[in-house]
Amino acid sequence: MDDATNTGISEPLDLVKLSLGERVFIKLRGDRTVTGVLHAYDAHMNVVLSQVEETIHFVDVTEEGNPLPPRAERRNVEMLFVRGDGVILISPTQQ
Amino acid sequence: MSGFFGFDAALPERRPGQPGGGGESARHQFSGFQASNTDETFALSGAGEEEDLAVYTWGEGMGGGLLEGGDELNDETFGDVGEISNTFQFSSQPAQQPAKPSYGHNQSTGRGPIASTQSRYKPKVAADPFAFSEDDFYSRPAAKKPAAKGPSRPKAQTAQSGSVEGLWNKPALPSPAWGTAPSSMSKPTPPPAASYSAYPSAPSGPPGHIKTLEEIEAEMSQLDVTGPSAKSLTGQPKVLSLEEIEKQMMESMEPPRQPTPQQYVAPPREATPTTVPGLPGSGYGTQKALLDSMFPELGQGSIPTQRAGPFPPGPEGVPPPPSGPSPDEIARMEAIHNRISAKIESMAQHNNLMGSSDKDFITRIQLSQLATADPYTSDFYAQVFSALKRSRIAAEGQGEGPTVVPVAAGLGLGVGGPVGNRFGKMGSNTMQKLSTQVKKLVENRAQHQKVMNTAALQGALGRVTRGNAAAPRPVLAIPTSNKPEHRAASHLNEQTGIHRAALTRKQIMFALEELYDAVLELEQMRREAPPPTAMEEIEVWHARCQARVDNIWRRLMVMEPLDVSNPHPFISLLNPIKGQRLFPRLLRHLPHNQSITMLSLLIATYPQLDVVARAPPPPVADASLLTKADRLDRAKREAETDNFLHCIIPGVDMIINRCGLGLVAGMLAISAQRSEVWKVASTRPGVALYTALLSKAQSLIRAPAPDPLNPQQSHSPDPAEIDQWSKTFTYFLHVLLPHLPELFPSSVAQKAAFGPGAYLLGGDSIGEREAVEMERREAEVWGFAAALAVNAAEEEQTSLVAALREKILHTVQAARNPATGPIRSEIKLRNVNMFLNGLGLDAAMIE
Repeated sequence: MDDATNTGISEPLDLVKLSLGERVFIKLRGDRTVTGVLHAYDAHMNVVLSQVEETIHFVDVTEEGNPLPPRAERRNVEMLFVRGDGVILISPTQQ
Repeated sequence: MSGFFGFDAALPERRPGQPGGGGESARHQFSGFQASNTDETFALSGAGEEEDLAVYTWGEGMGGGLLEGGDELNDETFGDVGEISNTFQFSSQPAQQPAKPSYGHNQSTGRGPIASTQSRYKPKVAADPFAFSEDDFYSRPAAKKPAAKGPSRPKAQTAQSGSVEGLWNKPALPSPAWGTAPSSMSKPTPPPAASYSAYPSAPSGPPGHIKTLEEIEAEMSQLDVTGPSAKSLTGQPKVLSLEEIEKQMMESMEPPRQPTPQQYVAPPREATPTTVPGLPGSGYGTQKALLDSMFPELGQGSIPTQRAGPFPPGPEGVPPPPSGPSPDEIARMEAIHNRISAKIESMAQHNNLMGSSDKDFITRIQLSQLATADPYTSDFYAQVFSALKRSRIAAEGQGEGPTVVPVAAGLGLGVGGPVGNRFGKMGSNTMQKLSTQVKKLVENRAQHQKVMNTAALQGALGRVTRGNAAAPRPVLAIPTSNKPEHRAASHLNEQTGIHRAALTRKQIMFALEELYDAVLELEQMRREAPPPTAMEEIEVWHARCQARVDNIWRRLMVMEPLDVSNPHPFISLLNPIKGQRLFPRLLRHLPHNQSITMLSLLIATYPQLDVVARAPPPPVADASLLTKADRLDRAKREAETDNFLHCIIPGVDMIINRCGLGLVAGMLAISAQRSEVWKVASTRPGVALYTALLSKAQSLIRAPAPDPLNPQQSHSPDPAEIDQWSKTFTYFLHVLLPHLPELFPSSVAQKAAFGPGAYLLGGDSIGEREAVEMERREAEVWGFAAALAVNAAEEEQTSLVAALREKILHTVQAARNPATGPIRSEIKLRNVNMFLNGLGLDAAMIE
């Protein structure tokens, strides 16, 4: 069955296609991650998501230079277009 | 010459002075010379660097056959000046001389030295730095600029000589008087020799003319050996005394034209031959440099004598006596020059601007890239959007436009907008061009496709968009359509094992994508129905559509054995939201019997559905008790359930509505036998399914009246079917009855609640919105209960009421509780009445 499935996949983005309409996790440059329902993508990995939760990760440093525990800021967006040049990875969210 | 020079440069300034007297004019000229001298000085400096070249050229120029070679070079260097007759050449020389005189005076003529020395040294100091700092070419123009009038003249001359360049530089510069001269110059220039000669001769010319007339003869006699021309050049400067120059200046100033005729006689010969040879050799770019270099040389007494030798051949080479350019010719030349310059100027106006044709061209290129063999699916979203928009516009009374613009056979552009003349701006003409362009591309591509199979490797590591010389990126990607079907009809079916693992998520997703593709293809095919008149085509079309439908049917895996896996592959396909969305679209294409089969399978495996097996848990009083993963999971399950109710249940209702009573009874029986009815019924999808089945059955039993929509079902149900139905229902109710009160969401929630939440749930702590939502879901179950009540026999109704008695009382009391909001109480009462009314009762009767 795996063979049967894999024959139809000729390029990496074909796998992304399988996640259309599903919730995906996207890691972005700038210490950002995004999860949302994947609506569209293209060869540049430009992506349209809905019901998005964007998370920005920070590591603050004290004046002595000691890092504080990382913290994250979140925000929710109804619909989002993510430009592809910031995309590091796309993965289905863990079930 | 000086007069001419002064004329050009100083015209505005000198004018007042000229009428006054010759002396004033001479002064003016001198001043003018200074200005011009700066140029000359620059030239000199530049010349110094190129002196060798200049000497060589001169020597070469002396050679007899130079004229021809020079001509060729001139064409290159000067560009096409237009047709120039020999007469023009001759005429030109004289004309040139007047133009150049300024140069000549400074360096070559006897007075030139005086004037030039003054002018030279003064300006030189200032000018030298410029000359050295930059290349000759650069320095000269720069230096010229400072000198207001001097520079303009040389430029004009150069412009004339190098027709195009000159025009570009300063087409309008030459003053009318000058203009005539330049124009004449330009004509002669085509023969390179003439033009070059003109320069050197020109400087010497104006003074030379006067000199030449008087002195040339003497010079000639003296320098017979060397040659008249050389001597004339050299001699002129020497011969000309300050006095003479001044005189000439005076004369020239007042009657500028007079000198020219005189000049024609003697100077042209000298100048033309000598200069001509040298210039061609030097090349276009160095013209100015050569000229400059030549002038200084001329100015020096010793050099001229040496050069006298070369000169003689020149005169020989130029046999024709100079014929003065007729006013007509001059005028004509001027007209041509003006026309050319005007044209260039007008063209230059639009530099960097695109005309409409340019825009069209680029638009065509862009559009041709958008052309696709399958405009509908390629621009699917645009099509859907435009369809929606069109329907709205149609409602407003506007006509429909085409959704696809065909550009070539089998290719088209999907048009997102509803406006038919979307390309109206470009015009039909452009679209025609576009279509031919695309056709060419298609044909071209088809040819190359056979050859280029290396493209198969493209995309192996992702989409490779950058072309290279060997495999340029195709302008137009034509679908090869040789993509093999991903697997034999149902590769998944080929395993013969009775039982096997359920589909993995990846497999599900992949199968769904394939299904989507297939459905899109089928939908597109349906859109392309041939005209109803073409019977054969319609048959073919039907056959093709049917093949597609069969293909989809196989992919749905409905015919898999019921127990092949858990969940059944078909159910697996319905679990993701994507698959649920696909369901109604599939249903449209499936024939009745297949949809019945599908529904039977669905009902039989209903408990395997995610929305049933993993129904969203009842809400908790305090969401903060949940972890984030919990919340997400709940939200996901809720979303799936909502989507299921939204997408699949309507389809199920539709299929059920086409069923007869026997079928409905059979389905209910399947469900009752194969699943724990109460578990299914405790989920919203289950409630919806049973409600649909029960109400359909009741409507079939109670409404024997012919249904106008379904005439075949108008007949009253078969008594056997009714009997079967009642038996099935009795069993169903029997199984369900004990659990009936637990089907209500509020009951489930309270049962699931624990701790303080249990109390909170019963109270009013939950928000009004959630409460209303809860009541809305309660309504679904009350509706199910009502459907049960309607179908139930009398004794069954009694037991039904008994089972729900507490729930009814509780609900009615809650509705009458003043603490309950008016909205909620109204909903509660309506819910209860939905059930009670089915029994002929009403909540108002309850005390």
